[in-house]
This record gives sequence, C-alpha cells and structure tokens, in this order.
Amino acid sequence: MTKIEGIPQLLGTTETWVDEGGVHWLPASELHVRQVAAIMNEVHARFVTITAVELSGGQGFRLEYHWDLGGELLGFPFEVSGNSIESIYDLCEAVDWIEREVHEGFAVDFIGRECEPLLLRAGDRLGVNLHEVVQ
Amino acid sequence: MSYKIPMGPYHPALEEPYKLDMFCDGETVSDAKLHIGFNFRGIEHLAETRNYIQVIALMERVCGICSNIHTLTLCQAMEKLTGLTPPPRALYIRVVMAELERLHSHVLWAGIAAKLMGFKTMFMSCFALREKIMDVLQAISGNRVNYSMNCIGGVNRDITDPQAVLTGVEQLEREMVRTIIPIFTSSTTAQSRCAGIGVLSNEKAVSCGVVGPTARASGVAQDLRRAAPYAAYSDFEFNVPVESAGDVRARLRVRALEIMESCRILRQALTKMPPGEWNGGEKKLVFFTGTALSRVEAPRGEVVYSVSWKENSRNPARVHVRTPTFQNMPAIRWMVMGARLADTPLIQASIDPCYSCTDR
Repeated sequence: MTKIEGIPQLLGTTETWVDEGGVHWLPASELHVRQVAAIMNEVHARFVTITAVELSGGQGFRLEYHWDLGGELLGFPFEVSGNSIESIYDLCEAVDWIEREVHEGFAVDFIGRECEPLLLRAGDRLGVNLHEVVQ
Repeated sequence: MSYKIPMGPYHPALEEPYKLDMFCDGETVSDAKLHIGFNFRGIEHLAETRNYIQVIALMERVCGICSNIHTLTLCQAMEKLTGLTPPPRALYIRVVMAELERLHSHVLWAGIAAKLMGFKTMFMSCFALREKIMDVLQAISGNRVNYSMNCIGGVNRDITDPQAVLTGVEQLEREMVRTIIPIFTSSTTAQSRCAGIGVLSNEKAVSCGVVGPTARASGVAQDLRRAAPYAAYSDFEFNVPVESAGDVRARLRVRALEIMESCRILRQALTKMPPGEWNGGEKKLVFFTGTALSRVEAPRGEVVYSVSWKENSRNPARVHVRTPTFQNMPAIRWMVMGARLADTPLIQASIDPCYSCTDR
C-alpha cells in the first residue's frame, strides 16, 4: 500500500480516492478539516492552497484544501453551509495568508483565529463577499 | 532601545509597493510584520466575467515577468476540462518559452540583487543580458512582455528555426558563464556580503510551505519539473540545484546554478524538437462540468491554477491562482528576525518577490 492509498485509513474513512482534473480527491463528508490537517502533517505532505467556491442558490461555499505528497496533488472538499469553518492555522502555519484571503474575498470566517487585513486595505470593507460584488 | 521602522509601501529599497514594519532593538530586527494589498486588482473575480479566449489574455497580466507561466498553467487546466492534448511540438515550444522566461527572471533578479549589494557594474551587466534574452523571446513570439504564446490545445506560434534560437541561447550562455555565474557562485565580495544573513531554516521552510528557489536554498528538494513533470519536461535531463544553508548566499547560488540548468534544458529542447503541428487548430471548444488543477514550476516556484467550469458556459465559474510569492512572502518575517537593519533590503529581495502576482 502506498502512502497515498493509506491516507483514507488513517482518516478513518472507507471512501476511496477519486482522480479528476489532475487531483486525487477524497470526497468524504464525515471528514473534519482539522483531522485532515493533522494527518497531512503526519505523512509530511506540503500544504498547497485553499480554493473557495461559492455554491449556487445561496447554499454556502465549498472550500477545497490541497496538499502535495511526493508530487501528487491531494484534494479535500469541505462544504460550508453557513459562513464559517475551523481554522487550521495552529496546525499548519502555511495556511495563514490563504485563510485571510478567503475571509476577505468570500466573507468566510475561520473559527479559532483572528484574520487581519491582507489584500484589501480598507478595513470597513473586510469580510465582504467580493464574488457577489463583481457579479 | 526598542523602536519600529516602517519600510514601504514606497521606499528606495523596495521595487514594488508593500510594507514591512520592523521592530528593532538597536540595529537588530527583533520581529517584523508584513502588509500587502496596496495594488489588489481582483483578477480572480474578474476572470469569471471573461470567456475562454479573453481569460487567457487577462491571466497573462497577473505578472509582468512570468506572464507566460500564467497562461501555460491556465491552458493546462483548461485542457483537462476540454480533453484536448497539445501536440508534441507544442509541448517542446512551451518548455522553450518557460525556460527562456526563467532565464529572463533569474537574470533580472541577479541585477537587482547586485544593486542591493552595492555592485552596480554587475547590475548593468545583468540588465544588458536581460535585454538579449528578451530579444530572443521577441524573435519567437513577437512580444517582449506578454508573449501570447499559449492557447488551449497548443501554442499560437511555431518556432520555425530552432537552430537560430539555439545559436542565440548558446551565445547568452557563454556571456553568463563569463559574467554572472562566477560572480554569484564564487566571488569573495558577493559571497561574504550574502553569507549567513536572512537564514530560513529547513524546518521553517517546510512549516511555511515555501516553494521554488527559496525552498531549494533551505534544503527542500522540490521542483515540479522533476516531481510532477508537465509539458515535455520528462524528456529532458537536468539537475535540481539544492543548497542547505538557507541564507541569501544559498538563494544566490541556487538561482545561478538554475540558469545553467535552464540553458541545458533549452539546448535539448531546441535540438530534439519534434516536427508536426503546434496547436489543435481552430474549433469551438466544449468544456466539461468540473474542476481541474494545474501546477507549473515558475521561476519563483510553484504556480497553481484551480479552474472550475459549468458545461455550456463560455466563462469559467471560478479561477483561483496561488502564486509562489504569495506562499514565500510570509517567510520574510523569519528571515529578517535577528538580522541587521541594513541587511533587510537584500534579505527581502532574496526571495525574488513579485507583488504584482501577490496583489493579483
């Protein structure tokens, strides 16, 4: 069993990887983002980025977390029904700026940390859903 | 006595606008805080309002130095969503453009580093060389900054005479071996100015998730051209220079050695370029519903594009760009902690920051 194949077992899920669009996705709804971050640390995966996607019909957001393991890109999608998700900043220092950017660009709150202004200099506009503003 | 020194957003030691608040004890920096966002353009959101042709032109403007890399990464992602595979010749041309751009970027950076070291003659030499690299890029693409080379399914222009480009590259290589490479790898002046400053330990490099030459100078041997080959990189032999010291000198050496490796890749690509088509031809593209990710090793490190599409739509549903500087910049805080105030401009420059990419 390769390191990647063993990850679902480490996460305690019976789901398997789905290869799509250049990514190994693990679409397991029961997963918790902090649990994933801890396992990624354990297997020495490198954090890559978080992509925020606004779902249609006001259904919230999907946050796609990506890690690199030996050149393979791993993806973990998390549906955010409200506008908040737990921060993994204390587990993974590399997420600092991207969590702040997602907070600013999509008004998603990361529980457990303060998000200081990053890309938007006007403080009163912080946390605005820019996606909606553009549309 | 403790005090705070704000550097930027407009400062003689900064090439582009950002701000570094440095907390100092005497001449020593005890901590620092970075502020970016002075030129935020909202390009990702704008991309959702552009069709699949316009979005390529838009994303080429994310960066003025590695513009080709952005369209390459975007086109690779869009090819996954359309099922198109570029012909072999197009993949070779993409490698040629990417490596020429790496040369251009590294030589430009070497010039700026030389200026910050107080080595103005080398600054002039580097910028003269950079002009010649841009001449080669212009000869291939017709453009000097935004090359418009990549399209979905291939490239927009052929390299009609690879031998002429090779002659130009070999001439450049000879000049670089005579000027830049010895200065940045063995000159006592440059080495002593850069040794031991701006250290980013291997542990901190891993923890911050830094990428590109910044990571490789801290002993992290990651390079997507080797780890996850794209375009035609799996056809070429090259080394990935790695240094362990993590200081400015190590970053200097890694980039100097990468210049030589780029020349090596260019020689192979231009010599072995396969004949045939260079793009998929004119046709209406059909996108699948879904998300595709693409990664490329840009001069400053890994660029990531996540592109989502809904079937029958002309515009992307989402384009997310993770640029290397966005990942590398937070590490500046750890590099300047404990440094002398006078060294901080050079330390900041040593990651080769691109604010245009960061404030995309």
